[in-house]
Amino acid sequence: MEFKKNVQVRKEKFGTVIFETLKEKVFVTNETGAEIIERLKEKKTPDVIVNELASLYGASKEAIANDVNCFIENMIDQEVLAR
Amino acid sequence: MEPTKNFNTTPGMAGENFDDFKAPLFLAWQINSVCNLGCLHCCEEAGHHIPGEMTRDQIFTFLHQVREMGIPYVAISGGEPLLHPNFFEVAEFIREAGMSLKVETNGEFIDDKVVDRFAALDFRSVQISLDGATAATHEVLRLKGDWKKSYTAVKKLVEKGVTTEIVFVPTSFNIHEVGEAIDMAHDLGCYGFYTGKIMRIGRAALNWDKLNPTEEQYKAFFKTLDEKTKQYENKMKVYYYPYDVIEELKYRLEKPSASLLVVPNGNTKLIGPLPFICGNVKEQSLAEVWERYKKAWREPKVIEFTKRVIKDPNLLAQSNKWQNVF
Repeated sequence: MEFKKNVQVRKEKFGTVIFETLKEKVFVTNETGAEIIERLKEKKTPDVIVNELASLYGASKEAIANDVNCFIENMIDQEVLAR
Repeated sequence: MEPTKNFNTTPGMAGENFDDFKAPLFLAWQINSVCNLGCLHCCEEAGHHIPGEMTRDQIFTFLHQVREMGIPYVAISGGEPLLHPNFFEVAEFIREAGMSLKVETNGEFIDDKVVDRFAALDFRSVQISLDGATAATHEVLRLKGDWKKSYTAVKKLVEKGVTTEIVFVPTSFNIHEVGEAIDMAHDLGCYGFYTGKIMRIGRAALNWDKLNPTEEQYKAFFKTLDEKTKQYENKMKVYYYPYDVIEELKYRLEKPSASLLVVPNGNTKLIGPLPFICGNVKEQSLAEVWERYKKAWREPKVIEFTKRVIKDPNLLAQSNKWQNVF
């Protein structure tokens, strides 16, 4: 998975800002979203991200998987992330 | 540009306001003031050099800060940016740093060599000003302009795979041709067609009585835009900003954008239609200018003047008579 061409990502205090510069659309995420995005930038797969976040937050993998997959699907729908 | 949708946030959360961001999201940079044309509607009153334009060293000191602050998206305009002696060096720096870059040009200096360089630099887009579907219409507004050169530039850029957009400013001289201009953009293979109401600033303010379309003309214009948007859905982006500059100012007073507008001498304006300068990137660091920008929007004199402009749009004629906020 990778961010599409013309998509810029920047860390902020509150989380992350994602800027789709061709369509000139800006999205923001909270800190949890930023954790996912940082790992996507490192080319980690959703499974690896789920494992790492489950460990980081001490939460069940099922709950984390649901959140991570929804978040990724949302980014694909918004055309900032490609499978 | 504002946060529109978000993934995990709720209204009122950080990221909703411009001062939540550690750095600007967008830099609009008028790199020079020199232009080969004398457009009746030029909002910058471009044409000749202005005193104190940034030197090559100053430009690169500035650009290093742009990169360090992580500004994701830069638009270079002028004047005519291709007349700037360091244009390609600047463009290369920005692209090598991974920032998105849009270039706004009249297209008259885009030959085969330039097209190849643009293609290699993989810009976000090149925006060409074409104010008509015919030479006669375009050239009556763009004094000394050559429609054929601009048209050919669009054609060559598209052929080489450069994302190309056409910008069309409606006036009483050309507004009737907007539909044909959109068709032309589509036939040329453009990615997008951009337009919106003419802004009453710069030379446009001086020529306002002869340029400003009538209400009836605008009504027909927006009707055509609606039709063309539907016609070219999923084929070409037809983008038009429905508000005029006064409506924009009302909005920005409440919600300034996370962007900076730097003019050729390094002065940084709060926004194009207002005369206020919040800093100068030759004299202050870019980080300092960003802090000054955020503070400037809260200054009583800025708020009061903006409210006066909203009541009396004639004051827009002062937009290029710069005054320092601090």
